[in-house]
Amino acid sequence: LREPPFPPGRYKPPATETNPALEDPTPDYMNLLGMVFSMCGLMLKLKWCAWIAVYCSFISFANSRSSEDTKQMMSSFMLSISAVVMSYLQNPQPMSPPW
Amino acid sequence: MKNLYIFIAVLFIPWSFSLAKYDEFEDGDDIMEYDDNDFAEFEDVSEDTVTESPQKIITTEDDEEEATVELEGQDENQEDFDDADTQEGDTESEPYDDEEFEGYEEKPDASHSKNKDPITIVNVPAHLQNSWESYYMEILMVTGLLAYIMNYIIGKNKNNRLAHAWFNTHRELLESNFALVGDDGTNKEATSTGKLNQENEHIYNLWCSGRVCCEGMLIQLKFLKRQDLLNVLARMMRPASDQVQIKVTMNDEDMDTYVFAVGTRKALVRLQKEMQDLSEFCSDKPKSGAKYGLPDSLAILSEMGEVTEGMMDAKMIHFLTHYADKIDSVQFSDQFSGPKLMQEEGQLTKLPETKKTLLFTFNVPGSGNTSPKDMESLLPLMSMVIYSIDKAKKFRLNREGKQKADKNRARVEENFLKLTHVQRQEAAQSRREEKKRAEKERIMNEEDPEKQRRLEEAALRREQKKLEKKQMKMKQIKVKAM
Repeated sequence: LREPPFPPGRYKPPATETNPALEDPTPDYMNLLGMVFSMCGLMLKLKWCAWIAVYCSFISFANSRSSEDTKQMMSSFMLSISAVVMSYLQNPQPMSPPW
Repeated sequence: MKNLYIFIAVLFIPWSFSLAKYDEFEDGDDIMEYDDNDFAEFEDVSEDTVTESPQKIITTEDDEEEATVELEGQDENQEDFDDADTQEGDTESEPYDDEEFEGYEEKPDASHSKNKDPITIVNVPAHLQNSWESYYMEILMVTGLLAYIMNYIIGKNKNNRLAHAWFNTHRELLESNFALVGDDGTNKEATSTGKLNQENEHIYNLWCSGRVCCEGMLIQLKFLKRQDLLNVLARMMRPASDQVQIKVTMNDEDMDTYVFAVGTRKALVRLQKEMQDLSEFCSDKPKSGAKYGLPDSLAILSEMGEVTEGMMDAKMIHFLTHYADKIDSVQFSDQFSGPKLMQEEGQLTKLPETKKTLLFTFNVPGSGNTSPKDMESLLPLMSMVIYSIDKAKKFRLNREGKQKADKNRARVEENFLKLTHVQRQEAAQSRREEKKRAEKERIMNEEDPEKQRRLEEAALRREQKKLEKKQMKMKQIKVKAM
Protein backbone atom coordinates (compact mmCIF):
# COMPACT_ATOMS: atom_id res chain seq x y z
CA LEU A 1 0.00 0.00 0.00
CA ARG A 2 2.68 2.41 0.92
CA GLU A 3 5.83 2.81 -1.13
CA PRO A 4 8.66 4.40 0.80
CA PRO A 5 10.36 6.10 -2.17
CA PHE A 6 7.02 7.72 -3.03
CA PRO A 7 7.61 11.43 -2.43
CA PRO A 8 4.99 12.82 -0.07
CA GLY A 9 3.20 15.98 -1.10
CA ARG A 10 3.52 19.00 1.14
CA TYR A 11 0.88 20.57 3.28
CA LYS A 12 -1.19 23.13 1.54
CA PRO A 13 -3.36 25.38 3.61
CA PRO A 14 -7.05 24.71 3.07
CA ALA A 15 -8.98 26.65 0.48
CA THR A 16 -10.26 29.21 2.96
CA GLU A 17 -7.08 31.15 2.65
CA THR A 18 -7.48 31.54 -1.06
CA ASN A 19 -11.22 32.06 -0.95
CA PRO A 20 -12.07 34.74 1.58
CA ALA A 21 -15.78 34.14 1.08
CA LEU A 22 -15.51 30.86 2.96
CA GLU A 23 -13.94 32.31 6.06
CA ASP A 24 -15.96 32.86 9.16
CA PRO A 25 -16.52 36.62 9.37
CA THR A 26 -17.39 36.67 13.08
CA PRO A 27 -14.09 37.87 14.53
CA ASP A 28 -13.83 40.70 12.04
CA TYR A 29 -17.39 41.87 12.59
CA MET A 30 -17.01 41.69 16.34
CA ASN A 31 -13.78 43.62 16.19
CA LEU A 32 -15.40 46.37 14.17
CA LEU A 33 -18.49 46.40 16.35
CA GLY A 34 -16.33 46.61 19.44
CA MET A 35 -14.49 49.62 18.10
CA VAL A 36 -17.73 51.34 17.10
CA PHE A 37 -19.23 50.79 20.52
CA SER A 38 -16.09 52.01 22.30
CA MET A 39 -16.12 55.19 20.25
CA CYS A 40 -19.81 55.69 21.04
CA GLY A 41 -19.14 55.07 24.69
CA LEU A 42 -16.26 57.54 24.73
CA MET A 43 -17.91 60.28 22.72
CA LEU A 44 -21.45 60.06 24.01
CA LYS A 45 -20.40 59.03 27.52
CA LEU A 46 -22.67 56.04 27.52
CA LYS A 47 -21.58 53.39 29.98
CA TRP A 48 -23.54 50.56 28.46
CA CYS A 49 -21.85 51.15 25.08
CA ALA A 50 -18.49 50.77 26.69
CA TRP A 51 -19.50 47.53 28.41
CA ILE A 52 -20.86 46.08 25.18
CA ALA A 53 -17.58 47.01 23.53
CA VAL A 54 -15.70 44.97 26.11
CA TYR A 55 -17.95 42.01 25.41
CA CYS A 56 -17.47 42.39 21.65
CA SER A 57 -13.74 42.37 21.94
CA PHE A 58 -13.85 39.25 24.10
CA ILE A 59 -16.10 37.49 21.58
CA SER A 60 -13.82 38.53 18.76
CA PHE A 61 -10.86 37.10 20.59
CA ALA A 62 -12.63 33.79 21.27
CA ASN A 63 -13.53 33.36 17.60
CA SER A 64 -10.25 34.49 16.14
CA ARG A 65 -8.04 32.36 13.93
CA SER A 66 -4.58 31.57 15.18
CA SER A 67 -3.08 33.22 12.12
CA GLU A 68 -4.62 36.50 13.05
CA ASP A 69 -2.61 39.37 14.40
CA THR A 70 -2.66 39.59 18.19
CA LYS A 71 -1.94 43.29 17.92
CA GLN A 72 -5.35 43.89 16.38
CA MET A 73 -7.06 41.96 19.16
CA MET A 74 -5.11 43.74 21.86
CA SER A 75 -5.80 47.16 20.40
CA SER A 76 -9.54 46.59 20.26
CA PHE A 77 -9.48 45.17 23.78
CA MET A 78 -7.50 48.12 25.14
CA LEU A 79 -9.80 50.56 23.42
CA SER A 80 -12.88 49.02 24.99
CA ILE A 81 -11.29 48.93 28.45
CA SER A 82 -10.29 52.57 28.12
CA ALA A 83 -13.86 53.43 27.08
CA VAL A 84 -15.21 51.82 30.24
CA VAL A 85 -12.62 53.49 32.46
CA MET A 86 -13.16 56.91 30.91
CA SER A 87 -16.93 56.65 31.26
CA TYR A 88 -16.56 55.94 34.95
CA LEU A 89 -13.99 58.62 35.56
CA GLN A 90 -16.19 61.22 33.96
CA ASN A 91 -19.33 60.07 35.68
CA PRO A 92 -18.79 57.79 38.66
CA GLN A 93 -22.46 57.08 39.14
CA PRO A 94 -23.52 53.50 38.62
CA MET A 95 -25.13 52.51 35.38
CA SER A 96 -28.88 52.69 35.40
CA PRO A 97 -30.76 49.80 33.88
CA PRO A 98 -32.81 50.58 30.78
CA TRP A 99 -36.09 49.52 32.36
CA MET B 1 -18.12 95.98 60.87
CA LYS B 2 -15.17 93.76 60.09
CA ASN B 3 -16.64 90.97 62.12
CA LEU B 4 -19.86 91.23 60.22
CA TYR B 5 -18.04 90.95 56.95
CA ILE B 6 -16.13 87.91 58.15
CA PHE B 7 -19.36 86.33 59.33
CA ILE B 8 -21.01 86.93 55.97
CA ALA B 9 -17.99 85.48 54.17
CA VAL B 10 -18.10 82.40 56.34
CA LEU B 11 -21.78 81.97 55.61
CA PHE B 12 -21.20 82.57 51.95
CA ILE B 13 -18.82 79.62 51.50
CA PRO B 14 -21.13 76.81 52.61
CA TRP B 15 -24.03 78.55 50.93
CA SER B 16 -22.22 78.53 47.61
CA PHE B 17 -21.38 74.86 48.14
CA SER B 18 -25.01 74.02 48.55
CA LEU B 19 -25.91 76.10 45.53
CA ALA B 20 -23.37 74.27 43.43
CA LYS B 21 -24.64 70.94 44.62
CA TYR B 22 -28.28 71.66 44.01
CA ASP B 23 -27.87 73.64 40.84
CA GLU B 24 -30.45 71.54 39.06
CA PHE B 25 -33.17 72.49 41.43
CA GLU B 26 -32.73 76.23 41.41
CA ASP B 27 -35.31 78.59 40.03
CA GLY B 28 -34.85 82.32 39.84
CA ASP B 29 -36.74 82.79 43.05
CA ASP B 30 -34.53 80.48 44.99
CA ILE B 31 -32.52 83.15 46.73
CA MET B 32 -35.61 84.76 48.19
CA GLU B 33 -37.07 81.50 49.21
CA TYR B 34 -33.86 80.49 50.79
CA ASP B 35 -33.92 83.40 53.11
CA ASP B 36 -37.43 82.64 54.24
CA ASN B 37 -37.32 78.94 54.53
CA ASP B 38 -34.47 76.57 55.03
CA PHE B 39 -36.33 73.82 53.35
CA ALA B 40 -37.46 75.72 50.27
CA GLU B 41 -35.13 73.86 47.98
CA PHE B 42 -36.56 70.58 49.10
CA GLU B 43 -39.97 71.91 48.25
CA ASP B 44 -38.98 72.37 44.64
CA VAL B 45 -37.31 69.05 44.56
CA SER B 46 -40.27 67.08 45.73
CA GLU B 47 -42.59 68.74 43.23
CA ASP B 48 -40.65 69.14 40.01
CA THR B 49 -37.48 67.26 39.76
CA VAL B 50 -38.16 63.86 41.15
CA THR B 51 -37.25 62.22 37.86
CA GLU B 52 -34.11 64.19 37.12
CA SER B 53 -32.09 63.91 40.25
CA PRO B 54 -29.77 61.12 41.11
CA GLN B 55 -30.82 58.35 43.43
CA LYS B 56 -32.72 59.74 46.40
CA ILE B 57 -33.31 58.17 49.68
CA ILE B 58 -36.92 58.37 50.72
CA THR B 59 -36.36 58.63 54.37
CA THR B 60 -39.73 58.59 56.00
CA GLU B 61 -40.22 54.91 56.17
CA ASP B 62 -37.97 53.76 58.94
CA ASP B 63 -37.70 55.24 62.36
CA GLU B 64 -33.99 55.22 62.01
CA GLU B 65 -34.12 57.24 58.89
CA GLU B 66 -36.57 59.75 60.24
CA ALA B 67 -33.90 60.70 62.66
CA THR B 68 -31.56 61.06 59.71
CA VAL B 69 -34.00 63.42 58.03
CA GLU B 70 -34.13 65.66 60.99
CA LEU B 71 -30.39 65.57 61.39
CA GLU B 72 -29.76 66.20 57.74
CA GLY B 73 -32.43 68.84 57.55
CA GLN B 74 -30.31 70.80 59.93
CA ASP B 75 -27.02 70.10 58.30
CA GLU B 76 -28.07 70.49 54.74
CA ASN B 77 -25.08 72.58 53.90
CA GLN B 78 -22.64 70.06 55.21
CA GLU B 79 -24.37 67.02 53.87
CA ASP B 80 -21.55 65.86 51.66
CA PHE B 81 -19.15 65.77 54.54
CA ASP B 82 -21.42 64.46 57.20
CA ASP B 83 -23.03 61.68 55.22
CA ALA B 84 -20.92 58.98 56.64
CA ASP B 85 -21.24 60.43 60.07
CA THR B 86 -24.99 60.67 59.98
CA GLN B 87 -25.34 57.09 58.83
CA GLU B 88 -23.17 55.94 61.64
CA GLY B 89 -24.65 58.56 63.93
CA ASP B 90 -28.06 57.02 63.39
CA THR B 91 -27.49 54.12 65.65
CA GLU B 92 -25.68 56.24 68.18
CA SER B 93 -28.27 58.97 68.31
CA GLU B 94 -31.24 56.69 68.71
CA PRO B 95 -31.08 56.42 72.48
CA TYR B 96 -30.55 60.18 72.67
CA ASP B 97 -33.36 61.03 70.31
CA ASP B 98 -35.58 62.74 72.76
CA GLU B 99 -32.92 64.58 74.68
CA GLU B 100 -30.63 65.82 71.96
CA PHE B 101 -33.21 67.13 69.62
CA GLU B 102 -35.47 68.83 72.05
CA GLY B 103 -34.55 72.21 70.87
CA TYR B 104 -34.49 71.24 67.26
CA GLU B 105 -37.72 69.43 67.01
CA GLU B 106 -39.71 72.63 66.92
CA LYS B 107 -38.05 73.89 63.82
CA PRO B 108 -38.54 70.85 61.61
CA ASP B 109 -42.05 70.46 63.02
CA ALA B 110 -42.79 74.03 62.23
CA SER B 111 -41.40 73.74 58.76
CA HIS B 112 -43.19 70.47 58.23
CA SER B 113 -46.52 71.97 59.16
CA LYS B 114 -45.75 74.85 56.86
CA ASN B 115 -44.88 72.52 53.96
CA LYS B 116 -47.85 70.14 54.35
CA ASP B 117 -45.64 67.69 52.46
CA PRO B 118 -44.50 64.97 54.87
CA ILE B 119 -42.07 63.33 52.47
CA THR B 120 -38.65 64.89 52.41
CA ILE B 121 -36.44 63.40 49.82
CA VAL B 122 -32.78 63.60 50.41
CA ASN B 123 -30.61 63.82 47.36
CA VAL B 124 -27.56 61.82 48.01
CA PRO B 125 -25.74 61.12 44.78
CA ALA B 126 -25.47 57.41 44.39
CA HIS B 127 -21.75 57.22 44.13
CA LEU B 128 -21.28 58.83 47.47
CA GLN B 129 -23.30 56.21 49.25
CA ASN B 130 -21.07 53.59 50.65
CA SER B 131 -23.04 50.70 49.31
CA TRP B 132 -22.06 48.26 46.65
CA GLU B 133 -25.71 47.54 45.93
CA SER B 134 -26.08 50.61 43.80
CA TYR B 135 -23.48 49.22 41.43
CA TYR B 136 -25.39 46.06 40.76
CA MET B 137 -25.38 46.53 36.98
CA GLU B 138 -21.61 46.76 36.96
CA ILE B 139 -21.30 43.69 39.12
CA LEU B 140 -23.59 41.89 36.70
CA MET B 141 -21.42 42.90 33.78
CA VAL B 142 -18.23 41.77 35.44
CA THR B 143 -19.83 38.48 36.42
CA GLY B 144 -20.89 38.00 32.82
CA LEU B 145 -17.35 38.60 31.65
CA LEU B 146 -15.97 36.16 34.18
CA ALA B 147 -18.50 33.58 33.06
CA TYR B 148 -17.40 34.13 29.46
CA ILE B 149 -13.76 33.67 30.35
CA MET B 150 -14.52 30.50 32.33
CA ASN B 151 -16.47 29.11 29.40
CA TYR B 152 -13.63 29.98 27.06
CA ILE B 153 -11.12 28.03 29.10
CA ILE B 154 -13.41 25.05 29.60
CA GLY B 155 -14.49 24.94 25.95
CA LYS B 156 -10.97 25.27 24.64
CA ASN B 157 -9.78 22.42 26.82
CA LYS B 158 -12.66 20.20 25.83
CA ASN B 159 -12.02 20.72 22.13
CA ASN B 160 -8.36 20.03 22.70
CA ARG B 161 -9.11 16.78 24.50
CA LEU B 162 -11.51 15.66 21.79
CA ALA B 163 -8.99 16.39 19.08
CA HIS B 164 -6.24 14.47 20.77
CA ALA B 165 -8.55 11.59 21.55
CA TRP B 166 -9.43 11.41 17.86
CA PHE B 167 -5.82 11.53 16.85
CA ASN B 168 -4.73 8.86 19.29
CA THR B 169 -7.43 6.52 18.04
CA HIS B 170 -6.61 7.05 14.40
CA ARG B 171 -2.87 7.41 14.58
CA GLU B 172 -2.08 3.77 13.98
CA LEU B 173 -4.30 3.40 10.96
CA LEU B 174 -2.95 6.58 9.44
CA GLU B 175 0.65 5.75 10.05
CA SER B 176 0.23 2.36 8.44
CA ASN B 177 -1.26 3.90 5.33
CA PHE B 178 0.64 7.12 4.88
CA ALA B 179 4.31 7.92 4.87
CA LEU B 180 3.83 11.45 6.09
CA VAL B 181 1.42 12.04 8.91
CA GLY B 182 1.19 15.60 10.09
CA ASP B 183 2.83 18.45 8.29
CA ASP B 184 2.35 22.13 8.85
CA GLY B 185 4.20 23.34 5.81
CA THR B 186 6.86 25.18 7.75
CA ASN B 187 9.73 22.70 7.59
CA LYS B 188 11.90 22.65 4.51
CA GLU B 189 11.88 18.87 4.35
CA ALA B 190 8.83 16.70 4.40
CA THR B 191 9.07 15.14 7.82
CA SER B 192 6.17 13.83 9.85
CA THR B 193 5.38 16.03 12.76
CA GLY B 194 3.03 13.39 14.11
CA LYS B 195 0.88 16.15 15.56
CA LEU B 196 -2.34 17.89 14.77
CA ASN B 197 -2.07 21.39 13.42
CA GLN B 198 -4.27 23.72 15.44
CA GLU B 199 -5.76 26.39 13.25
CA ASN B 200 -8.23 27.72 15.74
CA GLU B 201 -9.67 26.97 19.13
CA HIS B 202 -12.18 24.76 17.33
CA ILE B 203 -10.49 23.65 14.08
CA TYR B 204 -7.65 21.16 13.89
CA ASN B 205 -5.93 20.05 10.67
CA LEU B 206 -3.93 17.00 9.77
CA TRP B 207 -2.18 16.50 6.45
CA CYS B 208 -1.28 12.99 5.44
CA SER B 209 0.63 12.09 2.35
CA GLY B 210 2.83 9.47 0.84
CA ARG B 211 0.46 6.86 -0.45
CA VAL B 212 -0.16 5.38 -3.85
CA CYS B 213 -3.02 6.90 -5.86
CA CYS B 214 -3.48 10.02 -3.86
CA GLU B 215 -1.53 13.22 -3.69
CA GLY B 216 -2.52 13.74 -0.12
CA MET B 217 -5.30 13.77 2.41
CA LEU B 218 -6.32 16.73 4.51
CA ILE B 219 -8.34 15.94 7.60
CA GLN B 220 -10.13 18.83 9.29
CA LEU B 221 -11.65 18.36 12.72
CA LYS B 222 -14.31 21.04 12.77
CA PHE B 223 -15.52 21.15 16.32
CA LEU B 224 -18.29 23.30 17.69
CA LYS B 225 -17.26 26.63 19.06
CA ARG B 226 -17.31 25.55 22.66
CA GLN B 227 -15.00 28.38 23.60
CA ASP B 228 -17.54 31.05 22.64
CA LEU B 229 -20.36 31.45 25.15
CA LEU B 230 -22.67 33.01 22.58
CA ASN B 231 -22.29 29.98 20.40
CA VAL B 232 -22.94 27.67 23.33
CA LEU B 233 -26.17 29.51 24.05
CA ALA B 234 -27.17 29.45 20.38
CA ARG B 235 -26.58 25.73 20.27
CA MET B 236 -29.05 25.26 23.09
CA MET B 237 -31.68 26.48 20.66
CA ARG B 238 -30.38 24.66 17.64
CA PRO B 239 -28.37 21.48 18.29
CA ALA B 240 -25.41 20.83 16.02
CA SER B 241 -22.62 18.30 15.94
CA ASP B 242 -18.89 18.30 15.55
CA GLN B 243 -17.76 17.36 12.08
CA VAL B 244 -14.78 15.59 10.64
CA GLN B 245 -14.06 16.60 7.07
CA ILE B 246 -11.65 14.54 4.98
CA LYS B 247 -10.48 15.73 1.59
CA VAL B 248 -8.42 13.33 -0.50
CA THR B 249 -6.72 14.79 -3.53
CA MET B 250 -6.23 12.13 -6.16
CA ASN B 251 -3.52 11.95 -8.77
CA ASP B 252 -4.73 12.73 -12.26
CA GLU B 253 -4.07 9.29 -13.60
CA ASP B 254 -5.63 7.48 -10.70
CA MET B 255 -9.23 8.50 -11.09
CA ASP B 256 -11.62 8.36 -13.99
CA THR B 257 -13.96 11.19 -14.93
CA TYR B 258 -17.18 11.11 -12.96
CA VAL B 259 -19.11 13.05 -10.36
CA PHE B 260 -20.93 11.18 -7.64
CA ALA B 261 -22.28 11.94 -4.17
CA VAL B 262 -24.12 10.09 -1.45
CA GLY B 263 -25.34 11.38 1.89
CA THR B 264 -28.28 12.64 3.88
CA ARG B 265 -30.96 14.21 1.76
CA LYS B 266 -30.64 17.56 3.47
CA ALA B 267 -26.89 17.64 2.98
CA LEU B 268 -27.15 16.68 -0.68
CA VAL B 269 -29.75 19.33 -1.43
CA ARG B 270 -27.51 21.92 0.13
CA LEU B 271 -24.41 20.67 -1.67
CA GLN B 272 -26.18 20.59 -4.97
CA LYS B 273 -26.90 24.26 -4.62
CA GLU B 274 -23.52 25.23 -3.26
CA MET B 275 -20.97 23.09 -5.03
CA GLN B 276 -19.87 24.06 -8.51
CA ASP B 277 -19.42 20.53 -9.83
CA LEU B 278 -22.52 18.96 -8.33
CA SER B 279 -24.73 21.73 -9.65
CA GLU B 280 -23.34 21.44 -13.17
CA PHE B 281 -23.02 17.70 -13.62
CA CYS B 282 -25.72 16.24 -11.39
CA SER B 283 -28.83 18.03 -12.48
CA ASP B 284 -31.40 15.56 -11.11
CA LYS B 285 -32.70 15.68 -7.57
CA PRO B 286 -31.12 13.33 -5.06
CA LYS B 287 -32.50 9.84 -5.57
CA SER B 288 -33.28 7.35 -2.88
CA GLY B 289 -30.74 4.63 -2.36
CA ALA B 290 -33.29 2.03 -1.38
CA LYS B 291 -32.60 0.18 -4.60
CA TYR B 292 -29.17 -0.69 -3.32
CA GLY B 293 -30.27 -1.44 0.17
CA LEU B 294 -29.34 1.89 1.68
CA PRO B 295 -31.42 3.24 4.55
CA ASP B 296 -34.02 5.92 3.81
CA SER B 297 -31.98 8.63 5.37
CA LEU B 298 -29.40 8.44 2.60
CA ALA B 299 -29.80 9.66 -0.96
CA ILE B 300 -27.63 9.56 -4.09
CA LEU B 301 -26.62 12.23 -6.57
CA SER B 302 -24.88 10.95 -9.63
CA GLU B 303 -23.77 12.03 -13.07
CA MET B 304 -24.97 8.80 -14.66
CA GLY B 305 -26.44 5.51 -13.60
CA GLU B 306 -23.34 3.58 -14.49
CA VAL B 307 -21.33 5.44 -11.89
CA THR B 308 -23.84 4.61 -9.20
CA GLU B 309 -23.78 0.98 -10.21
CA GLY B 310 -20.05 0.92 -10.07
CA MET B 311 -19.74 2.70 -6.76
CA MET B 312 -22.38 0.77 -4.88
CA ASP B 313 -20.55 -2.48 -4.36
CA ALA B 314 -21.16 -4.74 -1.40
CA LYS B 315 -18.52 -3.34 0.86
CA MET B 316 -19.50 0.26 0.24
CA ILE B 317 -23.13 -0.55 0.93
CA HIS B 318 -22.07 -2.25 4.12
CA PHE B 319 -20.17 0.83 5.25
CA LEU B 320 -22.98 3.17 4.34
CA THR B 321 -25.69 1.15 6.04
CA HIS B 322 -23.82 0.53 9.25
CA TYR B 323 -22.60 4.05 9.77
CA ALA B 324 -25.46 5.95 8.18
CA ASP B 325 -26.02 8.06 11.30
CA LYS B 326 -22.47 9.34 11.20
CA ILE B 327 -22.29 10.10 7.48
CA ASP B 328 -23.21 13.59 6.38
CA SER B 329 -21.97 13.45 2.80
CA VAL B 330 -19.52 11.62 0.56
CA GLN B 331 -18.52 13.20 -2.73
CA PHE B 332 -16.31 11.77 -5.48
CA SER B 333 -15.57 14.24 -8.23
CA ASP B 334 -13.03 14.79 -10.94
CA GLN B 335 -14.26 18.34 -11.47
CA PHE B 336 -14.06 19.46 -7.89
CA SER B 337 -13.41 23.14 -7.49
CA GLY B 338 -15.08 23.89 -4.24
CA PRO B 339 -18.21 25.93 -3.68
CA LYS B 340 -19.56 28.26 -6.32
CA LEU B 341 -17.67 31.47 -6.27
CA MET B 342 -19.70 34.64 -6.16
CA GLN B 343 -17.80 36.68 -8.71
CA GLU B 344 -18.66 40.02 -10.16
CA GLU B 345 -19.77 40.01 -13.75
CA GLY B 346 -16.66 41.47 -15.23
CA GLN B 347 -14.31 39.03 -13.60
CA LEU B 348 -15.53 35.65 -14.78
CA THR B 349 -13.13 34.96 -17.61
CA LYS B 350 -11.74 31.57 -16.71
CA LEU B 351 -13.18 28.33 -15.45
CA PRO B 352 -12.10 27.65 -11.88
CA GLU B 353 -9.36 25.09 -11.49
CA THR B 354 -10.52 21.58 -10.83
CA LYS B 355 -8.86 18.76 -8.98
CA LYS B 356 -9.80 15.12 -8.71
CA THR B 357 -11.06 14.86 -5.18
CA LEU B 358 -12.84 12.60 -2.76
CA LEU B 359 -14.61 14.59 -0.05
CA PHE B 360 -16.05 13.02 3.09
CA THR B 361 -18.00 14.78 5.83
CA PHE B 362 -18.79 12.82 8.97
CA ASN B 363 -20.81 13.86 12.01
CA VAL B 364 -19.38 13.00 15.37
CA PRO B 365 -22.00 11.15 17.44
CA GLY B 366 -23.40 12.87 20.48
CA SER B 367 -24.64 16.02 18.67
CA GLY B 368 -22.61 18.39 20.76
CA ASN B 369 -22.30 16.44 23.97
CA THR B 370 -19.41 14.34 22.78
CA SER B 371 -16.90 12.71 24.99
CA PRO B 372 -13.42 11.58 23.96
CA LYS B 373 -14.65 8.00 23.87
CA ASP B 374 -16.96 8.78 20.97
CA MET B 375 -13.95 9.30 18.79
CA GLU B 376 -13.34 5.58 18.66
CA SER B 377 -16.57 5.07 16.82
CA LEU B 378 -15.19 7.08 13.92
CA LEU B 379 -12.37 4.65 13.25
CA PRO B 380 -14.34 2.41 10.88
CA LEU B 381 -15.16 5.50 8.85
CA MET B 382 -11.49 6.08 8.25
CA SER B 383 -11.28 2.54 6.94
CA MET B 384 -14.09 3.45 4.58
CA VAL B 385 -12.06 6.39 3.36
CA ILE B 386 -9.04 4.23 2.65
CA TYR B 387 -11.22 1.70 0.89
CA SER B 388 -12.76 4.44 -1.23
CA ILE B 389 -9.35 5.67 -2.32
CA ASP B 390 -8.47 2.25 -3.62
CA LYS B 391 -11.88 1.85 -5.16
CA ALA B 392 -11.71 5.16 -6.97
CA LYS B 393 -8.44 4.06 -8.47
CA LYS B 394 -9.82 0.76 -9.63
CA PHE B 395 -13.14 1.97 -11.00
CA ARG B 396 -13.09 2.78 -14.68
CA LEU B 397 -15.99 3.77 -16.88
CA ASN B 398 -16.73 1.66 -19.91
CA ARG B 399 -16.63 3.16 -23.38
CA GLU B 400 -20.21 4.41 -23.34
CA GLY B 401 -19.83 5.93 -19.98
CA LYS B 402 -16.62 7.65 -20.98
CA GLN B 403 -18.27 9.13 -24.04
CA LYS B 404 -21.15 10.45 -21.98
CA ALA B 405 -18.78 11.90 -19.45
CA ASP B 406 -16.71 13.63 -22.10
CA LYS B 407 -19.82 15.02 -23.70
CA ASN B 408 -20.99 16.40 -20.39
CA ARG B 409 -17.74 18.11 -19.73
CA ALA B 410 -17.62 19.60 -23.20
CA ARG B 411 -21.17 20.88 -22.74
CA VAL B 412 -20.32 22.55 -19.46
CA GLU B 413 -17.28 24.19 -20.95
CA GLU B 414 -19.24 25.44 -23.92
CA ASN B 415 -21.91 26.93 -21.70
CA PHE B 416 -19.30 28.66 -19.71
CA LEU B 417 -17.62 30.07 -22.80
CA LYS B 418 -20.93 31.34 -24.14
CA LEU B 419 -21.66 33.08 -20.90
CA THR B 420 -18.34 34.73 -20.82
CA HIS B 421 -18.16 35.41 -24.53
CA VAL B 422 -19.40 38.90 -24.14
CA GLN B 423 -17.00 39.58 -21.31
CA ARG B 424 -14.06 38.16 -23.21
CA GLN B 425 -14.89 40.25 -26.23
CA GLU B 426 -15.02 43.34 -24.11
CA ALA B 427 -11.75 42.44 -22.51
CA ALA B 428 -10.09 41.94 -25.90
CA GLN B 429 -11.53 45.20 -27.17
CA SER B 430 -10.26 47.16 -24.23
CA ARG B 431 -6.83 45.59 -24.65
CA ARG B 432 -6.70 46.68 -28.29
CA GLU B 433 -7.71 50.19 -27.37
CA GLU B 434 -5.03 50.30 -24.73
CA LYS B 435 -2.43 49.34 -27.30
CA LYS B 436 -3.56 52.05 -29.70
CA ARG B 437 -3.49 54.63 -26.98
CA ALA B 438 -0.02 53.59 -25.95
CA GLU B 439 1.14 53.88 -29.56
CA LYS B 440 -0.35 57.32 -29.96
CA GLU B 441 1.22 58.49 -26.77
CA ARG B 442 4.59 57.28 -27.93
CA ILE B 443 4.19 59.16 -31.18
CA MET B 444 3.18 62.31 -29.38
CA ASN B 445 6.04 62.08 -26.98
CA GLU B 446 8.61 61.78 -29.71
CA GLU B 447 10.37 65.11 -29.89
CA ASP B 448 12.09 64.58 -33.15
CA PRO B 449 9.58 65.57 -35.88
CA GLU B 450 11.18 63.23 -38.37
CA LYS B 451 10.74 60.24 -36.13
CA GLN B 452 7.22 61.33 -35.41
CA ARG B 453 6.30 61.37 -39.03
CA ARG B 454 7.82 57.96 -39.58
CA LEU B 455 6.03 56.41 -36.64
CA GLU B 456 2.74 57.90 -37.77
CA GLU B 457 3.20 56.47 -41.21
CA ALA B 458 4.02 53.06 -39.78
CA ALA B 459 0.85 53.13 -37.65
CA LEU B 460 -1.25 54.13 -40.67
CA ARG B 461 0.17 51.31 -42.71
CA ARG B 462 -0.60 48.82 -39.95
CA GLU B 463 -4.17 49.98 -39.72
CA GLN B 464 -4.63 49.73 -43.48
CA LYS B 465 -3.34 46.17 -43.44
CA LYS B 466 -5.78 45.24 -40.71
CA LEU B 467 -8.69 46.71 -42.66
CA GLU B 468 -7.68 44.74 -45.75
CA LYS B 469 -7.50 41.53 -43.75
CA LYS B 470 -10.97 42.10 -42.39
CA GLN B 471 -12.35 42.74 -45.83
CA MET B 472 -10.77 39.54 -47.10
CA LYS B 473 -12.34 37.58 -44.29
CA MET B 474 -15.77 39.03 -44.95
CA LYS B 475 -15.45 38.13 -48.62
CA GLN B 476 -14.46 34.60 -47.75
CA ILE B 477 -17.41 34.20 -45.41
CA LYS B 478 -19.74 35.49 -48.08
CA VAL B 479 -18.32 33.06 -50.63
CA LYS B 480 -18.68 30.17 -48.22
CA ALA B 481 -22.23 31.15 -47.41
CA MET B 482 -23.07 31.15 -51.06
